[in-house]
Amino acid sequence: MKSIVHLIGGEADIGHTRWFWIGLAVAIVLLFFYPTQVSSFRASNVAFYLLNVPLGLGMALLWGYCGVLSFGHVAYFGIAGYLYGIIAGNMPGNPLGPITGMIGGLVGCGLVAAIFGYFVFYARVQKWIIPILTLVFTLLLETFLGQTAGYQWRVGSVLLGGYNGMTGIPWFQLGGLVFEGYAFYYFCLVIVIACYFGLRMLMNSRFGQVTIAIREDELRAELLGYDIRARQAAIFVLSAMLAGLSGLLYVQWGNYITPSQVGLLQAALPVVWTAVGGRTSLLAVVISTLVLNWLTYTLSSQGNQYAMVIIGALLVVTMMFFPRGIVVMLAETIGRRMPRRTRAET
Amino acid sequence: MTESLPLALSLLYQLGATASFLFLAAVGLIIILGMMNIINLAHGELMMMGAYVATITHHAGLPFPIAVIVSFFFVAAFGAVLELVIVRRFYGRELGALVVTWGISLVLGQGALLFFGPFMPSIKIPGGSFSYGVFSYSVYWLILMLACALLVLALWIVYSRTTYGLQAKATMQNAEMAKSLGVPTSRIYTLTFSFGAGLAGLSGALLAPTATIAPFMGQQFVAPAFITVVVGGATNVIGGAIGSSVLLAAVKTPIGMALGAFSGSVALLVAALFIIRIMPNGISAQLQKYLDRRAQGGWR
Amino acid sequence: METPIILETCSLNKRFGGVTAAENINFKVRVGELRCMIGPNGAGKSTLFSMLCGIQGADSGQIFIAGREVTRMQAFRRVKLGVGLTFQTNRAFHELSVRENLAIPRAPVKSAGSEAGAARFAYALEVFGLDPKDETRAAELSHNQLQWLEIAMVLAAHPILVLLDEPTAGLASDETSRTAAVLKHLNSTGLTIVVVEHDMAFVKEVAQTVTVLHQGQIFAEGTVAEITSSEQVKSIYLGRA
Repeated sequence: MKSIVHLIGGEADIGHTRWFWIGLAVAIVLLFFYPTQVSSFRASNVAFYLLNVPLGLGMALLWGYCGVLSFGHVAYFGIAGYLYGIIAGNMPGNPLGPITGMIGGLVGCGLVAAIFGYFVFYARVQKWIIPILTLVFTLLLETFLGQTAGYQWRVGSVLLGGYNGMTGIPWFQLGGLVFEGYAFYYFCLVIVIACYFGLRMLMNSRFGQVTIAIREDELRAELLGYDIRARQAAIFVLSAMLAGLSGLLYVQWGNYITPSQVGLLQAALPVVWTAVGGRTSLLAVVISTLVLNWLTYTLSSQGNQYAMVIIGALLVVTMMFFPRGIVVMLAETIGRRMPRRTRAET
Repeated sequence: MTESLPLALSLLYQLGATASFLFLAAVGLIIILGMMNIINLAHGELMMMGAYVATITHHAGLPFPIAVIVSFFFVAAFGAVLELVIVRRFYGRELGALVVTWGISLVLGQGALLFFGPFMPSIKIPGGSFSYGVFSYSVYWLILMLACALLVLALWIVYSRTTYGLQAKATMQNAEMAKSLGVPTSRIYTLTFSFGAGLAGLSGALLAPTATIAPFMGQQFVAPAFITVVVGGATNVIGGAIGSSVLLAAVKTPIGMALGAFSGSVALLVAALFIIRIMPNGISAQLQKYLDRRAQGGWR
Repeated sequence: METPIILETCSLNKRFGGVTAAENINFKVRVGELRCMIGPNGAGKSTLFSMLCGIQGADSGQIFIAGREVTRMQAFRRVKLGVGLTFQTNRAFHELSVRENLAIPRAPVKSAGSEAGAARFAYALEVFGLDPKDETRAAELSHNQLQWLEIAMVLAAHPILVLLDEPTAGLASDETSRTAAVLKHLNSTGLTIVVVEHDMAFVKEVAQTVTVLHQGQIFAEGTVAEITSSEQVKSIYLGRA
């Protein structure tokens, strides 16, 4: 029990004071009570912000903690989403369909990531090549999915649907409990909380320490006996599966998916969330993912065509003036003002 | 024999066209990468800008070749501004540069959509076409192949015969040393980025008659350009670009002809993955090794 | 009586472009030796080290560690055979704490757990004044503490062969002699050590055998007295050879 407390509270993320933990607990409680105060439409919107969090966390894990940048993580989002649609769609009426789809989606995107990771990490390519190849990969996936219109592109009874996308994707279901409406909100919330604390513990564990050591100095880590290729590939697969988890939740939320979900604009979003939040802090990325999704939604629902221009400009400004992330830098400013316990006490 | 000659010529033409397309799509990117170690993800949008400038000026009455040259200078000037305001903060931070240029590309792509709308009438392909045997040839693509050859020659002259080229190579090798020898390294960086951006604009303008002019047209160049650069590597910039365009065209052309354009693109990515697995630093590093060995042989 | 060979290279060659970094290197170290390697700048010392531990591949030739051929073995696997290396410039993990720096090396290495290795690590911690529970970020340490931390990190994995690339670079003379004393003591417990050094006082202090590299080749090899009195060795340092 003590070791779990130690793992959660460790140095791998911001926030170690008593006030921080109280604040976090209050935020979680508020998120649990939020649906009781609003319409199911509003709750569904917030569920959409929540379901993107694993994708953001996957980016933070890969880029911030492991030092490897992927511009194509939406590919795994899309692969998992499409696989869920295919598997669950082919098992209509079967209560085990959605859970099989979830597992199939996660395993499928993990496998694709493992093959991709083998090629790039075991070749020990230069750092800049990985973002490029991941981006190319997701663009090709978009092209491929875009030309799957027509009856010949079907798997079992499910049509891939070309640029119109795949429709009629079933909700998630456990036994007789169907996760729609408010239930879906809580499903997302629980997954987000589990992902956050799970990753925070992982990064505070020895595995996390070694990951950070590899980010700091690959060669030194290798000459202490670590197979950095395997470690980086493992983190890559894990972060791809987090992206896949978001994809699974996304197709359950909207019951459809289109190829534009793996396109260039969508590919930019997780990078923006991670950069603006601060890639070396999981919590900061959770916050920025929620806030930026809210911002994008609010801007575009008001018919504001500048949404993506603003998001792009925000990315440029962040990289120029807040290279460690806006949320992280704000947190540090607040932390300096508050009385802090020293590291030795925590 | 009489039947295989037209087929061989047609294959050669397809190969040349694909290689020229890849070379044009990648040249500006590879100059900036090789000389400055900056990956410019706004490259596709700079090509889009070149295509727009050429299209607008051409519709306004400029002859097409002049419009292409105007595009080069316009986008080069824009590139200089980008370098001075944004990019220069990111030297030595490869991943930071990648991300910030992606932000720029979002702003440019969406900005073009807001400013020019989703569609613009394109330029008619100049030159028409002729046939030999059962195969037809577009005169304009033959002109583009010639343009690529001229571009290679021009790059070679710039980087081996001009003061700027000499200073740029010195800066690339060792910026500190070059600076202490009086090379204005910061101006060299501005010029190089501007030159690379200008080349992107030039390529965009040259390819404009073959493409649909739209705000997101840059995206179609992103995948081929970056694959070409990844395979080429950053050791010997021009050699890498040529080698990689030809090699990838040799992969893509037959597969694309046999199985369709999409399979050709997938073949590009798969080929790139296998090539970097064998040569992690790209063709240009391999080329450099070969040249070094020959040079050693010469000394003995 | 001669002890077994722990490290051996057979006609090792390496070129960078037109520059010869290693030419026909036949190098042998026996268990329990404390070998110093000297040579002017650019003699190929660091290149040889990086080939020995697998950072760079050789163009031709073979490398054996404890009787096993490792020429094409990945670097991390050689570490698992018991090789430890420090770099010419300090490469402790500056963003991590002293505790983490000392904890990270221990896990992956199979030979870890040897009693002699544990004793050496404990000894190094004590004489270097390092605390494995210290949460101070390594970036806040002074230069000599960082140099010592990196040596301790290498010892944490209980290696059988340690390669040190200029461990006294940037140290004051009292810190240098402390490092020398520590290395001598570690060696006396049976640890094989190969050190690249520029500081001749240090070399005279610690070395049994000295290998001189020059232009990528082994130029001379002998006792400290032989090497320091050799006119030829003096001449390459003065640039006449």
